[in-house]
Amino acid sequence: MLHALIAATGEPLEYGKAAGRAIALGFGAGGGAAGAGAGIGAVFNASIQSKTRQPELRAEVERDQWLGFALTEATFFYGLVGGFIAFFL
Amino acid sequence: MSAVAGAPPIAPGVGGTPPAEKHGMSTKRKIGLSVFGVWFGGIVLFVILFGVTAHKAPDVASSAFSPVDEFRLDTWFKAGPVAFNKGVLYLLLTTGITLGVMFYIARRLQQRPGRLQVAVEMFYDLARRMSRENLDQRMERKYFPLIATIFVFILVSNLIGYIPLPVNSGSTFKVFGAHIPSLQIYAADTNVAFPLILALSVFVLFTYEGVKHHGPIGYVKSLMPGGVKGPIVGLIFPIEILSNFLRLISLTVRLWANLLAGHLLIAFMGGELGVLVGLQLVSWVLLPFGVAIFIFEAVLIAGLQAFIFAILTAIYIGGAVESH
Repeated sequence: MLHALIAATGEPLEYGKAAGRAIALGFGAGGGAAGAGAGIGAVFNASIQSKTRQPELRAEVERDQWLGFALTEATFFYGLVGGFIAFFL
Repeated sequence: MSAVAGAPPIAPGVGGTPPAEKHGMSTKRKIGLSVFGVWFGGIVLFVILFGVTAHKAPDVASSAFSPVDEFRLDTWFKAGPVAFNKGVLYLLLTTGITLGVMFYIARRLQQRPGRLQVAVEMFYDLARRMSRENLDQRMERKYFPLIATIFVFILVSNLIGYIPLPVNSGSTFKVFGAHIPSLQIYAADTNVAFPLILALSVFVLFTYEGVKHHGPIGYVKSLMPGGVKGPIVGLIFPIEILSNFLRLISLTVRLWANLLAGHLLIAFMGGELGVLVGLQLVSWVLLPFGVAIFIFEAVLIAGLQAFIFAILTAIYIGGAVESH
Protein backbone atom coordinates (compact mmCIF):
# COMPACT_ATOMS: atom_id res chain seq x y z
CA MET A 1 0.00 0.00 0.00
CA LEU A 2 2.66 2.46 1.09
CA HIS A 3 4.95 1.37 -1.73
CA ALA A 4 2.22 2.09 -4.24
CA LEU A 5 1.69 5.55 -2.75
CA ILE A 6 5.38 6.36 -2.88
CA ALA A 7 5.61 5.12 -6.44
CA ALA A 8 2.56 7.16 -7.40
CA THR A 9 4.15 10.39 -6.20
CA GLY A 10 7.09 9.69 -8.53
CA GLU A 11 5.06 9.55 -11.73
CA PRO A 12 1.69 11.09 -11.02
CA LEU A 13 0.67 11.37 -14.65
CA GLU A 14 1.18 7.70 -15.49
CA TYR A 15 -0.53 6.52 -12.38
CA GLY A 16 -3.37 8.95 -12.86
CA LYS A 17 -3.94 7.63 -16.37
CA ALA A 18 -3.92 4.04 -15.21
CA ALA A 19 -6.31 4.88 -12.39
CA GLY A 20 -8.65 6.65 -14.80
CA ARG A 21 -8.69 3.63 -17.10
CA ALA A 22 -9.42 1.30 -14.24
CA ILE A 23 -12.22 3.53 -13.03
CA ALA A 24 -13.68 3.69 -16.55
CA LEU A 25 -13.67 -0.09 -16.87
CA GLY A 26 -15.17 -0.56 -13.44
CA PHE A 27 -17.81 2.06 -14.02
CA GLY A 28 -18.72 0.74 -17.46
CA ALA A 29 -18.94 -2.86 -16.36
CA GLY A 30 -20.55 -2.16 -12.99
CA GLY A 31 -23.05 0.43 -14.18
CA GLY A 32 -23.89 -1.66 -17.22
CA ALA A 33 -24.45 -4.73 -15.07
CA ALA A 34 -26.66 -2.81 -12.65
CA GLY A 35 -28.82 -1.37 -15.41
CA ALA A 36 -29.08 -4.61 -17.35
CA GLY A 37 -29.85 -6.48 -14.14
CA ALA A 38 -32.77 -4.20 -13.36
CA GLY A 39 -33.96 -4.48 -16.95
CA ILE A 40 -33.77 -8.28 -17.08
CA GLY A 41 -35.59 -8.42 -13.77
CA ALA A 42 -38.37 -6.29 -15.20
CA VAL A 43 -38.60 -8.50 -18.29
CA PHE A 44 -38.95 -11.71 -16.30
CA ASN A 45 -41.29 -10.05 -13.83
CA ALA A 46 -43.67 -9.09 -16.61
CA SER A 47 -43.31 -12.49 -18.23
CA ILE A 48 -44.12 -14.42 -15.05
CA GLN A 49 -47.08 -12.20 -14.32
CA SER A 50 -48.58 -12.55 -17.75
CA LYS A 51 -47.94 -16.31 -17.80
CA THR A 52 -49.72 -16.83 -14.50
CA ARG A 53 -52.61 -14.64 -15.59
CA GLN A 54 -52.98 -16.18 -19.01
CA PRO A 55 -51.28 -19.58 -19.15
CA GLU A 56 -52.73 -20.26 -22.59
CA LEU A 57 -50.44 -17.58 -24.04
CA ARG A 58 -47.36 -19.25 -22.58
CA ALA A 59 -45.59 -19.97 -25.87
CA GLU A 60 -45.98 -16.47 -27.23
CA VAL A 61 -45.06 -14.81 -23.96
CA GLU A 62 -41.94 -16.93 -23.69
CA ARG A 63 -40.81 -16.05 -27.18
CA ASP A 64 -41.17 -12.34 -26.48
CA GLN A 65 -39.56 -12.83 -23.10
CA TRP A 66 -36.38 -14.22 -24.66
CA LEU A 67 -36.39 -11.42 -27.21
CA GLY A 68 -36.66 -8.87 -24.41
CA PHE A 69 -34.02 -10.67 -22.38
CA ALA A 70 -31.51 -10.61 -25.21
CA LEU A 71 -32.20 -6.99 -26.10
CA THR A 72 -31.80 -5.93 -22.49
CA GLU A 73 -28.77 -8.07 -21.85
CA ALA A 74 -27.01 -6.40 -24.77
CA THR A 75 -27.06 -3.06 -22.96
CA PHE A 76 -24.69 -4.54 -20.40
CA PHE A 77 -22.23 -5.19 -23.16
CA TYR A 78 -22.46 -1.63 -24.44
CA GLY A 79 -21.20 -0.47 -21.06
CA LEU A 80 -18.61 -3.19 -20.95
CA VAL A 81 -17.31 -2.45 -24.44
CA GLY A 82 -17.11 1.24 -23.57
CA GLY A 83 -15.07 0.31 -20.52
CA PHE A 84 -12.79 -1.96 -22.54
CA ILE A 85 -12.23 0.75 -25.13
CA ALA A 86 -11.24 3.15 -22.37
CA PHE A 87 -9.07 0.53 -20.68
CA PHE A 88 -7.15 -0.88 -23.62
CA LEU A 89 -7.07 1.98 -26.16
CA MET B 1 -23.21 -26.57 -11.13
CA SER B 2 -25.37 -29.35 -9.73
CA ALA B 3 -22.52 -30.17 -7.43
CA VAL B 4 -22.58 -26.66 -5.99
CA ALA B 5 -26.35 -26.55 -5.85
CA GLY B 6 -26.49 -29.90 -4.09
CA ALA B 7 -23.95 -28.80 -1.53
CA PRO B 8 -25.90 -27.05 1.26
CA PRO B 9 -27.58 -30.11 2.87
CA ILE B 10 -24.32 -31.75 3.92
CA ALA B 11 -22.03 -30.48 6.61
CA PRO B 12 -18.91 -28.77 5.26
CA GLY B 13 -15.80 -30.88 5.26
CA VAL B 14 -17.54 -34.20 4.64
CA GLY B 15 -15.89 -34.41 1.23
CA GLY B 16 -14.85 -37.55 -0.62
CA THR B 17 -17.20 -40.28 -1.76
CA PRO B 18 -20.07 -40.77 0.65
CA PRO B 19 -20.50 -44.29 2.08
CA ALA B 20 -22.52 -46.45 -0.28
CA GLU B 21 -24.50 -48.21 2.49
CA LYS B 22 -26.71 -45.20 3.09
CA HIS B 23 -30.26 -45.73 1.94
CA GLY B 24 -32.34 -43.25 -0.01
CA MET B 25 -29.41 -41.73 -1.91
CA SER B 26 -30.04 -41.57 -5.62
CA THR B 27 -27.20 -42.07 -8.07
CA LYS B 28 -27.48 -38.44 -9.13
CA ARG B 29 -26.98 -37.30 -5.58
CA LYS B 30 -24.02 -39.56 -5.07
CA ILE B 31 -22.35 -38.22 -8.20
CA GLY B 32 -23.14 -34.68 -7.14
CA LEU B 33 -21.73 -35.20 -3.69
CA SER B 34 -18.56 -36.85 -4.94
CA VAL B 35 -17.96 -34.06 -7.47
CA PHE B 36 -18.43 -31.52 -4.71
CA GLY B 37 -16.14 -33.56 -2.48
CA VAL B 38 -13.40 -33.61 -5.10
CA TRP B 39 -13.78 -29.87 -5.61
CA PHE B 40 -13.69 -29.11 -1.89
CA GLY B 41 -10.84 -31.54 -1.28
CA GLY B 42 -8.97 -29.85 -4.12
CA ILE B 43 -9.28 -26.49 -2.39
CA VAL B 44 -7.85 -27.92 0.83
CA LEU B 45 -5.08 -29.66 -1.08
CA PHE B 46 -4.16 -26.48 -2.96
CA VAL B 47 -4.01 -24.47 0.26
CA ILE B 48 -1.83 -27.11 1.94
CA LEU B 49 0.51 -27.57 -1.03
CA PHE B 50 0.87 -24.03 -2.33
CA GLY B 51 -0.41 -21.80 0.48
CA VAL B 52 -2.21 -18.58 -0.27
CA THR B 53 0.70 -16.43 -1.43
CA ALA B 54 0.71 -15.32 -5.03
CA HIS B 55 3.41 -16.54 -7.42
CA LYS B 56 2.99 -14.64 -10.64
CA ALA B 57 4.47 -16.11 -13.77
CA PRO B 58 7.23 -13.86 -15.19
CA ASP B 59 5.21 -13.05 -18.32
CA VAL B 60 2.24 -11.98 -16.23
CA ALA B 61 4.30 -9.93 -13.79
CA SER B 62 5.95 -8.00 -16.65
CA SER B 63 2.51 -7.73 -18.30
CA ALA B 64 3.82 -9.32 -21.50
CA PHE B 65 0.83 -11.62 -21.28
CA SER B 66 -2.53 -10.09 -22.06
CA PRO B 67 -5.83 -11.97 -21.81
CA VAL B 68 -7.01 -10.53 -25.12
CA ASP B 69 -3.98 -11.89 -26.97
CA GLU B 70 -5.82 -15.05 -27.92
CA PHE B 71 -8.32 -13.03 -29.96
CA ARG B 72 -5.63 -11.38 -32.04
CA LEU B 73 -5.57 -12.54 -35.64
CA ASP B 74 -2.17 -13.77 -36.80
CA THR B 75 -1.81 -14.01 -40.55
CA TRP B 76 -0.91 -17.60 -41.43
CA PHE B 77 -0.40 -17.16 -45.14
CA LYS B 78 -1.62 -14.96 -47.94
CA ALA B 79 -3.71 -16.17 -50.84
CA GLY B 80 -4.08 -13.24 -53.21
CA PRO B 81 -5.75 -10.35 -51.40
CA VAL B 82 -6.95 -12.62 -48.59
CA ALA B 83 -4.76 -12.81 -45.50
CA PHE B 84 -5.61 -16.22 -44.16
CA ASN B 85 -6.03 -16.34 -40.38
CA LYS B 86 -8.13 -18.20 -37.88
CA GLY B 87 -11.12 -15.89 -38.40
CA VAL B 88 -11.13 -16.81 -42.08
CA LEU B 89 -10.76 -20.46 -41.17
CA TYR B 90 -13.77 -20.29 -38.88
CA LEU B 91 -15.77 -18.46 -41.51
CA LEU B 92 -14.98 -21.13 -44.09
CA LEU B 93 -15.82 -23.85 -41.58
CA THR B 94 -19.13 -22.18 -40.80
CA THR B 95 -20.02 -21.80 -44.47
CA GLY B 96 -19.04 -25.38 -45.20
CA ILE B 97 -21.05 -26.83 -42.32
CA THR B 98 -24.10 -24.67 -43.05
CA LEU B 99 -24.17 -25.56 -46.73
CA GLY B 100 -23.27 -29.18 -46.13
CA VAL B 101 -25.93 -29.86 -43.51
CA MET B 102 -28.63 -27.97 -45.36
CA PHE B 103 -27.98 -29.61 -48.74
CA TYR B 104 -27.62 -33.02 -47.13
CA ILE B 105 -30.99 -32.70 -45.40
CA ALA B 106 -32.70 -31.15 -48.42
CA ARG B 107 -31.55 -33.97 -50.68
CA ARG B 108 -32.77 -36.78 -48.52
CA LEU B 109 -35.94 -35.63 -46.78
CA GLN B 110 -37.60 -38.61 -45.16
CA GLN B 111 -41.08 -39.44 -43.99
CA ARG B 112 -39.68 -40.60 -40.69
CA PRO B 113 -37.13 -37.90 -39.91
CA GLY B 114 -33.87 -38.60 -38.15
CA ARG B 115 -32.47 -36.43 -35.41
CA LEU B 116 -30.69 -34.01 -37.70
CA GLN B 117 -33.75 -33.60 -39.90
CA VAL B 118 -35.93 -32.89 -36.86
CA ALA B 119 -33.49 -30.19 -35.75
CA VAL B 120 -33.33 -28.61 -39.21
CA GLU B 121 -37.12 -28.70 -39.50
CA MET B 122 -37.37 -26.99 -36.13
CA PHE B 123 -35.09 -24.18 -37.29
CA TYR B 124 -37.06 -23.96 -40.52
CA ASP B 125 -40.33 -23.64 -38.61
CA LEU B 126 -38.86 -21.02 -36.31
CA ALA B 127 -37.52 -18.92 -39.19
CA ARG B 128 -40.80 -19.41 -41.03
CA ARG B 129 -42.82 -18.18 -38.09
CA MET B 130 -40.72 -15.12 -37.43
CA SER B 131 -40.75 -14.05 -41.06
CA ARG B 132 -44.47 -14.69 -41.42
CA GLU B 133 -45.31 -12.65 -38.36
CA ASN B 134 -43.25 -9.64 -39.33
CA LEU B 135 -43.52 -9.49 -43.12
CA ASP B 136 -46.46 -9.45 -45.47
CA GLN B 137 -46.94 -12.30 -47.92
CA ARG B 138 -45.06 -10.90 -50.89
CA MET B 139 -42.10 -9.80 -48.78
CA GLU B 140 -42.07 -13.08 -46.94
CA ARG B 141 -41.71 -15.05 -50.15
CA LYS B 142 -38.81 -12.82 -51.06
CA TYR B 143 -37.00 -12.64 -47.72
CA PHE B 144 -37.71 -15.88 -45.93
CA PRO B 145 -34.61 -17.54 -47.46
CA LEU B 146 -32.42 -14.69 -46.27
CA ILE B 147 -33.78 -14.74 -42.73
CA ALA B 148 -33.49 -18.51 -42.45
CA THR B 149 -29.95 -18.37 -43.83
CA ILE B 150 -28.89 -15.65 -41.39
CA PHE B 151 -30.36 -17.64 -38.53
CA VAL B 152 -28.65 -20.91 -39.38
CA PHE B 153 -25.38 -19.27 -40.37
CA ILE B 154 -25.00 -17.33 -37.12
CA LEU B 155 -26.14 -20.33 -35.12
CA VAL B 156 -23.53 -22.58 -36.69
CA SER B 157 -20.89 -19.89 -36.33
CA ASN B 158 -21.69 -19.50 -32.63
CA LEU B 159 -21.85 -23.20 -31.93
CA ILE B 160 -18.55 -24.18 -33.53
CA GLY B 161 -17.09 -21.43 -31.36
CA TYR B 162 -17.51 -23.70 -28.36
CA ILE B 163 -15.54 -26.61 -29.78
CA PRO B 164 -11.84 -26.44 -28.85
CA LEU B 165 -9.73 -26.45 -32.00
CA PRO B 166 -5.96 -26.11 -32.40
CA VAL B 167 -5.96 -22.56 -33.77
CA ASN B 168 -4.12 -20.44 -31.21
CA SER B 169 -0.94 -19.94 -33.20
CA GLY B 170 0.27 -17.42 -30.62
CA SER B 171 1.34 -20.26 -28.37
CA THR B 172 2.28 -23.78 -29.38
CA PHE B 173 2.96 -27.12 -27.79
CA LYS B 174 4.97 -30.04 -29.09
CA VAL B 175 3.63 -33.41 -30.16
CA PHE B 176 6.36 -35.78 -31.45
CA GLY B 177 8.52 -32.81 -32.36
CA ALA B 178 5.79 -31.02 -34.35
CA HIS B 179 4.61 -27.62 -33.16
CA ILE B 180 0.85 -27.76 -32.74
CA PRO B 181 -1.06 -24.53 -32.07
CA SER B 182 -2.73 -24.53 -28.67
CA LEU B 183 -6.34 -25.56 -28.40
CA GLN B 184 -8.67 -22.63 -28.18
CA ILE B 185 -12.35 -21.87 -28.28
CA TYR B 186 -12.58 -19.10 -30.81
CA ALA B 187 -15.56 -17.87 -32.76
CA ALA B 188 -15.63 -15.74 -35.88
CA ASP B 189 -18.15 -13.52 -34.04
CA THR B 190 -15.51 -12.43 -31.55
CA ASN B 191 -14.01 -10.28 -34.29
CA VAL B 192 -16.07 -7.18 -34.90
CA ALA B 193 -15.78 -7.44 -38.69
CA PHE B 194 -18.04 -10.48 -38.93
CA PRO B 195 -21.14 -9.06 -37.22
CA LEU B 196 -20.46 -5.66 -38.75
CA ILE B 197 -20.67 -6.99 -42.29
CA LEU B 198 -23.85 -8.92 -41.49
CA ALA B 199 -25.41 -5.86 -39.88
CA LEU B 200 -24.31 -3.62 -42.74
CA SER B 201 -25.92 -5.86 -45.32
CA VAL B 202 -29.13 -5.95 -43.30
CA PHE B 203 -29.02 -2.16 -42.92
CA VAL B 204 -28.49 -1.59 -46.63
CA LEU B 205 -31.23 -4.06 -47.42
CA PHE B 206 -33.95 -2.55 -45.29
CA THR B 207 -33.02 0.97 -46.35
CA TYR B 208 -33.24 -0.14 -49.98
CA GLU B 209 -36.62 -1.77 -49.43
CA GLY B 210 -37.91 1.30 -47.60
CA VAL B 211 -36.74 3.68 -50.32
CA LYS B 212 -38.22 1.43 -52.98
CA HIS B 213 -41.56 1.32 -51.20
CA HIS B 214 -41.93 4.93 -50.04
CA GLY B 215 -39.59 6.82 -52.37
CA PRO B 216 -36.56 8.69 -50.96
CA ILE B 217 -38.51 11.56 -49.40
CA GLY B 218 -41.29 9.32 -48.25
CA TYR B 219 -38.87 6.97 -46.57
CA VAL B 220 -37.33 9.74 -44.49
CA LYS B 221 -40.83 10.88 -43.60
CA SER B 222 -41.84 7.33 -42.70
CA LEU B 223 -39.14 7.24 -40.03
CA MET B 224 -41.31 9.59 -37.99
CA PRO B 225 -43.84 7.90 -35.77
CA GLY B 226 -47.38 8.69 -36.83
CA GLY B 227 -49.39 11.45 -35.15
CA VAL B 228 -46.49 13.70 -34.17
CA LYS B 229 -47.26 17.30 -35.06
CA GLY B 230 -46.17 20.82 -34.20
CA PRO B 231 -42.81 22.07 -32.93
CA ILE B 232 -41.99 18.78 -31.24
CA VAL B 233 -41.17 17.41 -34.73
CA GLY B 234 -37.88 19.30 -34.64
CA LEU B 235 -36.92 17.38 -31.54
CA ILE B 236 -38.22 13.94 -32.46
CA PHE B 237 -36.92 13.89 -36.02
CA PRO B 238 -33.16 13.92 -35.25
CA ILE B 239 -33.70 11.28 -32.58
CA GLU B 240 -35.49 9.02 -35.03
CA ILE B 241 -32.79 9.49 -37.66
CA LEU B 242 -30.15 8.74 -35.04
CA SER B 243 -31.98 5.67 -33.79
CA ASN B 244 -32.18 4.42 -37.35
CA PHE B 245 -28.40 4.47 -37.58
CA LEU B 246 -28.03 3.13 -34.07
CA ARG B 247 -29.73 -0.02 -35.30
CA LEU B 248 -26.57 -0.75 -37.23
CA ILE B 249 -24.41 -0.34 -34.15
CA SER B 250 -26.74 -2.21 -31.84
CA LEU B 251 -27.01 -5.17 -34.23
CA THR B 252 -23.23 -5.32 -34.49
CA VAL B 253 -22.31 -4.79 -30.88
CA ARG B 254 -24.98 -7.12 -29.54
CA LEU B 255 -23.66 -10.13 -31.41
CA TRP B 256 -19.99 -9.23 -31.16
CA ALA B 257 -19.86 -8.24 -27.50
CA ASN B 258 -22.03 -11.12 -26.37
CA LEU B 259 -19.74 -13.65 -27.95
CA LEU B 260 -16.51 -11.88 -27.03
CA ALA B 261 -17.54 -11.35 -23.43
CA GLY B 262 -18.81 -14.91 -23.25
CA HIS B 263 -15.52 -16.32 -24.47
CA LEU B 264 -13.51 -14.03 -22.19
CA LEU B 265 -15.66 -15.01 -19.23
CA ILE B 266 -15.21 -18.71 -19.96
CA ALA B 267 -11.48 -18.15 -20.23
CA PHE B 268 -11.32 -16.15 -16.98
CA MET B 269 -13.42 -18.58 -15.01
CA GLY B 270 -11.75 -21.59 -16.55
CA GLY B 271 -8.34 -20.72 -15.14
CA GLU B 272 -7.04 -17.47 -16.59
CA LEU B 273 -7.96 -15.41 -13.55
CA GLY B 274 -5.79 -17.69 -11.45
CA VAL B 275 -2.91 -17.13 -13.86
CA LEU B 276 -3.40 -13.36 -13.80
CA VAL B 277 -3.43 -13.05 -10.01
CA GLY B 278 -0.78 -15.74 -9.72
CA LEU B 279 -2.80 -17.90 -7.36
CA GLN B 280 -3.49 -21.45 -8.56
CA LEU B 281 -6.19 -21.84 -5.93
CA VAL B 282 -8.36 -19.23 -7.68
CA SER B 283 -8.39 -21.26 -10.89
CA TRP B 284 -9.54 -24.35 -9.04
CA VAL B 285 -12.22 -22.54 -7.03
CA LEU B 286 -13.68 -20.89 -10.14
CA LEU B 287 -13.58 -23.97 -12.36
CA PRO B 288 -17.21 -25.08 -11.65
CA PHE B 289 -18.41 -21.59 -12.53
CA GLY B 290 -16.41 -21.78 -15.75
CA VAL B 291 -18.17 -25.02 -16.65
CA ALA B 292 -21.55 -23.52 -15.74
CA ILE B 293 -20.94 -20.43 -17.86
CA PHE B 294 -19.73 -22.57 -20.74
CA ILE B 295 -22.97 -24.57 -20.65
CA PHE B 296 -25.06 -21.41 -20.30
CA GLU B 297 -23.33 -19.79 -23.26
CA ALA B 298 -23.42 -22.84 -25.50
CA VAL B 299 -27.00 -23.83 -24.75
CA LEU B 300 -28.75 -20.49 -24.41
CA ILE B 301 -26.72 -17.55 -25.68
CA ALA B 302 -25.54 -19.10 -28.95
CA GLY B 303 -29.06 -19.90 -30.09
CA LEU B 304 -30.56 -16.75 -28.62
CA GLN B 305 -28.18 -14.41 -30.43
CA ALA B 306 -28.83 -16.11 -33.77
CA PHE B 307 -32.57 -15.88 -33.11
CA ILE B 308 -32.35 -12.21 -32.14
CA PHE B 309 -30.33 -11.27 -35.20
CA ALA B 310 -32.73 -13.07 -37.53
CA ILE B 311 -35.91 -11.74 -35.93
CA LEU B 312 -34.56 -8.18 -35.88
CA THR B 313 -33.73 -8.52 -39.57
CA ALA B 314 -37.34 -9.53 -40.17
CA ILE B 315 -38.69 -6.72 -37.98
CA TYR B 316 -36.52 -4.06 -39.64
CA ILE B 317 -37.35 -5.15 -43.17
CA GLY B 318 -41.01 -5.41 -42.26
CA GLY B 319 -40.97 -2.00 -40.60
CA ALA B 320 -39.31 -0.32 -43.58
CA VAL B 321 -42.13 -1.18 -45.98
CA GLU B 322 -44.92 -0.62 -43.49
CA SER B 323 -47.15 2.42 -43.97
CA HIS B 324 -48.11 4.35 -40.90
